[in-house]
Amino acid sequence: MTYLEARKNRVPSIVSGIALACGIVVVFGSVMQFFRPSFFPAMVTTLVRPFWRAELSLKLGSMRTPGELLQDNQFLERKLDDANVRLKTIQSVLTENAELKALMGRASTTPYILAAVLKHPPTAGYDELIIDAGDDAGFSVGNNVYAVGDVLIGRVAEAQSQTSKVRLYSSPGERYSVLIGPDHSPATAVGRGGGQYEAELPRDIKVSAGDFVLDLSLNDRPFGVVISVLSDPAQPFEKVLFAPPVNIYELRWVLVDPKIRLI
Amino acid sequence: MKHKLFVRIIIDIVLVFLVIQGWWFVALPIGLIGGWFFPFYAEILLAGIAYDSLFGMVPGMGFSGYLGTIVSIVVLLIVSGSKSLVRR
Repeated sequence: MTYLEARKNRVPSIVSGIALACGIVVVFGSVMQFFRPSFFPAMVTTLVRPFWRAELSLKLGSMRTPGELLQDNQFLERKLDDANVRLKTIQSVLTENAELKALMGRASTTPYILAAVLKHPPTAGYDELIIDAGDDAGFSVGNNVYAVGDVLIGRVAEAQSQTSKVRLYSSPGERYSVLIGPDHSPATAVGRGGGQYEAELPRDIKVSAGDFVLDLSLNDRPFGVVISVLSDPAQPFEKVLFAPPVNIYELRWVLVDPKIRLI
Repeated sequence: MKHKLFVRIIIDIVLVFLVIQGWWFVALPIGLIGGWFFPFYAEILLAGIAYDSLFGMVPGMGFSGYLGTIVSIVVLLIVSGSKSLVRR
């Protein structure tokens, strides 16, 4: 009887098969690395890249449900809105700060008192300002009122306990003595309303648009800027139209000189 | 037989995960165990090549860039040889 000794022969054959396989791998790998060094890295990396990306997504928390993403989106939008509102508030405060600095820089060397404009044309009627200081701040009728840049714009017409009414020199019918142009020609400014003045000068006095109009004080404070000159050859006088260098519709702060009273 | 195949697939998946993570020194003992229990465990060889392809095989590294492949070949030969000696 003959017995098959399969086991004895099989094990070495497996080892030799593995050795052969390893040899093939080594030879194949060496050849590939010699001719195409990036073949294996490119191939394996391409296969693995999606897994790496998924892992990164998990780490970054981007693998979330649409509901969670929408919730996050809404939360971030709310935060953005809050931030925008805060930014606008900051910008407003910065503007106010700059205005106050401009005013107080001047006021620090003068006895002027700062007052906020509560109402101004056109919301306030009669072409006047309502400011937030009155008797309590020592204001009285006739006190001069200045805008930013030391521009004389009006006088206190009525001082109440905590508010005052300021009559603008540009109000219709108001009159104020000024000096116009480079020759400082004296004239009387007549208010036309809406922050506009007019004055009459002899025709031979040269005045042009852009010339400054000063008030009669020793400081030569700016009162207005000539906008246009209307000349009629038939008339001996020309009409000079001018406006204050500040926009009275945008006034937020004014300075009041409680010592000077012009009635 | 089916149970053994199932375990082998599980170990292969673990091996792939470990290689992708770059944990070669964790993958190696797993491959060694696989090589001991399963016949012709060529997965360790593929794991070595994959590991080197992902993290090695950089020009200028020389043979150290092929350490995964070399180690896996050595391990596979040693385990297969040991198995043949022990089970003779």
